[in-house]
Amino acid sequence: MKNNNLHMKQSKKLDRRSFFKKAAGASAMAFAFPYIIPSSALGKGGIVPPSDRIVMGVIGSGSMGTGDMRSFMGKKEVQMVAACDVDKAHRERAKTFMDQHYENKDSNIYGDYREFLATEKLDAVILALPDQWHGIIGVAVANAGLDIYGQKPLARTIWEGRQIVEAVKKNKVIWQTGSWQRSVGNFHKGAELVANGRIGKITRVEVGLPNGNPTTGVHNVQPVPEGLDWNMWLGPAPHVPYRGVCHWDWRWILDYSGGQLTDWAGHHIDIAHWGLGFDKTGPVEIEGKGVYPREGIYDVPVEYNVKAMYANGIEMTIANSRQLPHGMGTCWYGDKGWLYVRRGNVIEASDPKIMDEVIGDDENKLYFSRDHAQNLLDCIRSRKETITPAETAHRSISVGLLSEIAMLSGQKLKWDPVKEEFIDNKMADRLLRRPFRSPWTLKNN
Amino acid sequence: MKKIKYIIFSLVLAVSVVFLPGCQTEQSVDADYSALVVTGQNNHNWEASAPVLKEILENSGLFAVDIAESPAKGEDMSGFAPQFAEYDVVVLDYNGDSWTENTKKAFVDYVSQGGGVVVYHAADNSFPDWKEYNQIIGLGGWGNRNEKDGPYVRWKNDRIVMDINPGSAGSHGEQHPFRVVNRVTDHPVTKGLPTEWMHAQDELYSELRGPAENLTVLSTAFADSTKGGSGEHEPVLMTIDYGSGRVFHTVLGHIGGDGSRPAMECVGFIVSLQRGAEWAASGKVTQTVPDEFPRFNVLSSWDKLRSYTTDELLECLKNFHKGDSRVCLQDLISTIRNAASNPEELAKLEKKMIKFLESRATSEAKNEICRDISQWGSEASLPILDKLMKDDDTKEMARFARERISGEYSN
Repeated sequence: MKNNNLHMKQSKKLDRRSFFKKAAGASAMAFAFPYIIPSSALGKGGIVPPSDRIVMGVIGSGSMGTGDMRSFMGKKEVQMVAACDVDKAHRERAKTFMDQHYENKDSNIYGDYREFLATEKLDAVILALPDQWHGIIGVAVANAGLDIYGQKPLARTIWEGRQIVEAVKKNKVIWQTGSWQRSVGNFHKGAELVANGRIGKITRVEVGLPNGNPTTGVHNVQPVPEGLDWNMWLGPAPHVPYRGVCHWDWRWILDYSGGQLTDWAGHHIDIAHWGLGFDKTGPVEIEGKGVYPREGIYDVPVEYNVKAMYANGIEMTIANSRQLPHGMGTCWYGDKGWLYVRRGNVIEASDPKIMDEVIGDDENKLYFSRDHAQNLLDCIRSRKETITPAETAHRSISVGLLSEIAMLSGQKLKWDPVKEEFIDNKMADRLLRRPFRSPWTLKNN
Repeated sequence: MKKIKYIIFSLVLAVSVVFLPGCQTEQSVDADYSALVVTGQNNHNWEASAPVLKEILENSGLFAVDIAESPAKGEDMSGFAPQFAEYDVVVLDYNGDSWTENTKKAFVDYVSQGGGVVVYHAADNSFPDWKEYNQIIGLGGWGNRNEKDGPYVRWKNDRIVMDINPGSAGSHGEQHPFRVVNRVTDHPVTKGLPTEWMHAQDELYSELRGPAENLTVLSTAFADSTKGGSGEHEPVLMTIDYGSGRVFHTVLGHIGGDGSRPAMECVGFIVSLQRGAEWAASGKVTQTVPDEFPRFNVLSSWDKLRSYTTDELLECLKNFHKGDSRVCLQDLISTIRNAASNPEELAKLEKKMIKFLESRATSEAKNEICRDISQWGSEASLPILDKLMKDDDTKEMARFARERISGEYSN
């Protein structure tokens, strides 16, 4: 905590989260801040007084974490002070960005998130980790009482996702998921039109996610690059020797990710759910087929096609995009037409007039945000729920993870979205959770 | 009879059926067409060849196949009366005694009224004196056939040439692999196949003669004189129109007296037979060409196609290392998944897995088995998993499996 170091040394117990919680209830103006502010704390263009800034750090400063870190650093009310990554090159790069941005040398870097959490005094943390780490670190950060910008998918397993949701709830922290499409106009508009019956009663929805994965090369066992803590990178995942597959390409290996399917569930399934009002529920039946690689070390499906049935009879098809008529994106079908959204500000409908429809104030207005990072910052101050809270993220990725289980088990599965277990299928239940490698454990108490 | 399954065909189905958007249902188990293999006498090992023909056709997913077996050579043929008319295609693997007049008439009526026929290898040696039969097969050999039976048909100067010079019909040089050249590439049977492809060791029938009426030579092969061949480009795949009937004639597919059958195991033979049979039955071909179809200079045998037994898959997995082909692993997993709803079968498979985990297979192979068995294994697997947990190279995945199976998570 560089900007109010003195204060922190004297009173470690007063954490800033409780400050924001109080400030939400009272007038912030009523507080006086008798801190001595070091001049460096103002940094470049410091307009927001340091004492009023949201102090943030990042765990996992690879490409995604660095991107997220830099977009939050673009907010004048944020002070980014620390980064944690198991790769020395990643954390040093993060430090360079922070120090250049604030024109000082104050940022701290860590290789172990436990040390990071024990040492830094933060308001909020960005989590951009390989999926196998989401559960353990997500819960640890929530238990530390910090607000969170967590990358999708919420977790590698449904069990871990539920643990995060509970930890967030119990600790009353604010969670924003990296499902930023909800903060973009065309997705918001499309979901809102659908939610308000503008294409009639919805019968089915198609979700197109990216095709396959890169063809595998030869991945021989090789020395771990200097500066990479491979054992820590693997964390709770089964130990394997290093084969040059780590950053980015971890998503093609089932021990760390479900591939494109689970990587993108938090986008287009998330949007499908939004329009359907399914943010707190899930399918009741699911079945699917995947084509798995026959060569190389990657083992996530290269093709997938899944049908999920919801209690109200709506059917969701989730498939890699070349199998769907609209390709990538979300397409809802109702009894009065269809509506389709994808990235690139695309919104199309069976009848273009549907897009001119206005949703009245007395109708079902969906959560409005046009700046995903700002939405978290606003909610950190207001203590209100973000546009993509943990439960919503959990329900979105659950469909991806259920799809994965349906394909791996080769069975048609019945799912209880309340109890979050399969009906009469103890074997499929096994796949709701992955055993952690010793000594890693998820402590949620 | 040895069961032979071809992975590729289930794969083709998976891609074309399961992944068709909006299509939820699996391929129906009911075959589209019925086929009858007629056999029982042959100068070749028909007891070995007929079941293979049946398997090949059934594994296309299109045919339900019966076998009609005639009385042995010299025995009373009066009772031999296959119900040709009940089938979409009749596959002739017969070279022997004459049929009764009634049976002959039934066959000719069947074909002329629109039935499909596949003439396989030595079936074109049969019935040299039966006029309609020779019209149906187009070309034949041996049995004292000569210029009286019709011309030789060869590919010369970029076209099919009928050669009426006198000479006996039917010969072949020594068995050897040879290149087949598709001369008609827009026929349903040959469309999409490599134009030139290597066929495995076979007898290359040469100097066939016959009426050659309404005959289309789809493919030829050069009968190399250094191998004792005729020095001509001889027809190897043909179609004949007879009345409303469609005939597909393949001279390929020799089988040895000892059952050796490299020609029948050639993917080119298998696929051309399946396509020819579908065309004869329906006039169209809906099958896709597998990637394993032989190429210009690449032989391809069904070892590349057939899915192995569980034991063979485990044998194949024994030396598995990360980065090796996952074909055997994925096929094993598919085998296990197919048994998911059959507890007895699953228990049998688990026994095999346990035995494998106890064997001298590589740690990486055992780890893959542990990973999979974590999904479906029972308490029967726990002792071997406990044992594997004592070995550094397998302890992690053994524990992974153990925790999932027992439901007791240590972390």
